Amino acid sequence: MEKKGWFDVVQSSYVWKSIFRHEYQDTYRNRVLQISTNVFLHLHPTKIRRHALRLRFTWCMGGITFLLFLILTVTGVILMFYYRPTGEYAYHDMKYLQFDVPFGMIMRNMHRWCAHAMVIAVWLHMFRVFMTGSYKPPREFNWVIGVNLLVMTLMLSFTGYLLPWDQLSIWAVTVGTNMGRATPLLGHEGPFAELLGVDARYDARALLTAGRLIGPATLLRFYVLHCIFIPLLAAILMIVHFWRVRKDGGISGPL
Amino acid sequence: MAQSTITADTEDSGDGTGDRSDGAKVKERARTAQRLAKAIPDKVHTWPYLVRLEMMVGTAVMAFVTVWSIVVDAPLEEPANPTKTPNPSKAPWYFLGLQEILVYFDPWFAGVVLPSLMIVGLMVIPYIDINPKGNGYYCFKDRWFAISTFLFGFLGLWISTVIIGTFIRGPGWYLFLPGEYWDVHKTQALTNVDWSTFFGVASDTTAGFLIGAASALGFLIGPPAVWWHIKAVRRKDAFFLQLGKLRYWITALLFMSMMGVVVKMVLRLAFNVKYIMLGPYNFNI
Amino acid sequence: MAKAEDGTNPEASIWRFAPTRRDFFAGFLGWGAVLTSLGIGTLAFVRFMYPRVLFEPPSQFKIGAPGLYGVNSVSTKWIKALRFWLVRYDDRFIALSALCTHLGCTPRYLATEDKFKCPCHGSGFRGFSSGWTQLGANYEGPAPRPLERFKLSLGGAGDIVVNKGKTYRIDQGQDSDPGAFLPYA
Repeated sequence: MEKKGWFDVVQSSYVWKSIFRHEYQDTYRNRVLQISTNVFLHLHPTKIRRHALRLRFTWCMGGITFLLFLILTVTGVILMFYYRPTGEYAYHDMKYLQFDVPFGMIMRNMHRWCAHAMVIAVWLHMFRVFMTGSYKPPREFNWVIGVNLLVMTLMLSFTGYLLPWDQLSIWAVTVGTNMGRATPLLGHEGPFAELLGVDARYDARALLTAGRLIGPATLLRFYVLHCIFIPLLAAILMIVHFWRVRKDGGISGPL
Repeated sequence: MAQSTITADTEDSGDGTGDRSDGAKVKERARTAQRLAKAIPDKVHTWPYLVRLEMMVGTAVMAFVTVWSIVVDAPLEEPANPTKTPNPSKAPWYFLGLQEILVYFDPWFAGVVLPSLMIVGLMVIPYIDINPKGNGYYCFKDRWFAISTFLFGFLGLWISTVIIGTFIRGPGWYLFLPGEYWDVHKTQALTNVDWSTFFGVASDTTAGFLIGAASALGFLIGPPAVWWHIKAVRRKDAFFLQLGKLRYWITALLFMSMMGVVVKMVLRLAFNVKYIMLGPYNFNI
Repeated sequence: MAKAEDGTNPEASIWRFAPTRRDFFAGFLGWGAVLTSLGIGTLAFVRFMYPRVLFEPPSQFKIGAPGLYGVNSVSTKWIKALRFWLVRYDDRFIALSALCTHLGCTPRYLATEDKFKCPCHGSGFRGFSSGWTQLGANYEGPAPRPLERFKLSLGGAGDIVVNKGKTYRIDQGQDSDPGAFLPYA
C-alpha cells in the first residue's frame, strides 16, 4: 500500500466525509454528485449543452451580473456598519468612511463602481439574449422576469444614488423624482390630475419622497428601499429567473 | 459529439441484428445515428467544465473591480444644498437618455409614460414576435425586422442619448462639442412655436387642439392602418394573417410611438416646435 | 379548439361555468374575503406612507420693510434661504418662485439677458422688462408653464410677509388675484 499524503488523510477522515458525501476522484458519478449534492452548485444542472461554455455565445453576462449583485450585497452590508441615513449624519459618515475608516474608501468605491458595472452588465445581458432570440418559446416568461430584474437594477441604483447626501445625489434625485409629479392622474402636475383633486401633499411623488421636498424623510425612505425592499424583491425574482432558465430547457441554443 | 453518438448506438441496437454485411441496414443505422445525434443535444458535465469557466470569469471580474476601486475614487461633492442648483444638473448617467427626452416632451410623457411604454414594450416582445426562426443562435437574415427595430431602439435611441447626455450636454443644457469650453453664460435665442401655428392657428384654441390631436393620432394610427390594409386585407399575406390583428396593433403602436419620439426630436431641433398638441388638463404632447 | 368525433367539445365540461352552492361559498365569499383583506391591507400601507404631519420648514416668513428693496429691481436676496425672487415694479411687489416648473431645479436670474434660465434642461422664463403680467412666463426650453408666484401681504409691523404655502399661476389668470402681488407705490 502506497504512502498516504496529508490530503488523503484529511479526505478519508470521518469529519471530511460527513461534509462531502462523495470522493473527489474524477469519475462520471462524482462529477454528477459534485453538482447535485452541493446546495450552492446545484443551481446548475449536472450536465449542460456544450455551446453553453462558449463565451462568444453567452458573453457570460448573466453570471457576471449575479456576481456583481453578490459583491454589492457584501460591500453594501459592510458600508451599513458606519452609515446613518439621517440628514445631519449621512454626509458626515461618507467623509468618515472616506478619510478615517480603514478600507472605507475602497469599500465605497467598490460599491459604487460595481453598481455602475451591474447596470452595464444587465444591458449587455439583455442585448445578448435578444440577439440570440433566446426569448422565444419556451423562454417567453423568463424574458418578462428579466425585464423586471432590469427595472429592479435601475431602481436599486437610483435609490442608492441619494444616500451620499451630496449635491450630485440630491439634484439627480430631484430631477428623477420630479417626474413623479407629472404622473397622469396620480401626480399633482400630471394630465387630468385636477379632475381627481390630487395635490402636492398626497400624490405619486410624495409617496416616494415622503413630503413635498427632498429632505431627511426622503433619505430614510430611499435607504429602506435600497437596503431591504428592492434587494429582497430582486432576490425573489432572481430565484425565479435562474429556476426558469433550467426549467425552460437550460441555456438556449439552436433547436 | 462522442457521447451522443454512443447514446444513438445503444438506442439503435435494440432492433439491430448486428448484421453488418447488409449494406442497406448499415446505411439505415448511420442515418438513425445522425438523426439522433442532431436530436439529442451535445452535453458535457457541469463539473468541471462550467464551474471552472465560472471560477475563471469570476476571478477576472473580481480582479478588475478591485483594481478599478483602488485606482479611481467614487465622486463626493459638497453637502446637499436644496437652494443651490449645479449647472448643469444631471440625473445618474443611465437615466440621461430619459433626461434627454425631457427636453422634447413634457415630464408626464418623457418621465412616466415613455419609460412605462419602454418597459411594457420590452416585456411583450416574446408575445408579439411569432417568428420561430433565430431561436438560440445569432442571425440577422431570418429576423431582420426584429433585430433592426431592437438595434434602433437600444443603440440608436437609448445608448446614443445616454452618450449625448453624458458628454455633449453642458451648462444650461445646451449642446457643446467634446472639448469645447463649457461657457456658463452661453445663450441661444430659442423661441418656441407650436405645431398648429404652421397652419396659421394658435395652439391654445379648439381648432389648434384639433389640428394637434389629428396630427398625433394620424401619425400613430394612419401608417399602420394603411400597411395592414395592403398586407393583410388586399394581399392576404400569410405572415400578417398569422400574426393577427391584436398582435399587429400592439407591435405597430409601440413601433410608431418609438418613431414618434424621433419625429418630435427632429421637429424640435430643426423647427423649435414645442408642442404638437396643447390639450386640456396639461395633456400636452 | 379540439373537437371530438361526435362534434362535442371534450374540454367544454371542464371549463363550463356552473357554480354549485359550495363553489359559491368557497369561491366567491372565501376568496372574496381573502382578496378584500389583502386589498385593504395594501390601501392601509399606502396611507401609512403619507404621515399626517410633515416636518418641513414653515411656509410664512417676514422679509423686512418694503423700503429695503429698490424700485424696478429683481432682488436675489432670498434665493438661498427661501428660494424666490422679490421683484418690485413701480406699483407692486411680486414674489416669483425659483422652482422650475419643468422638474424643480432652481433657475438663475440672468440680468443682462433679462431672463430666468434653468440649468437642468435649459428652460427660459421672461425677465423683468416683460412687465408684471408676463414676468416668469415660459418661452424657451421644455418648461410646461410659467413660474409660480407666492402670496404676499403686509404684516403688522410694516414688514412684507411671504407665504410659500399659497401660489398663484398666471397661466390660469391668477396674476391679478388679491395676494398674488403686494400693491405698493
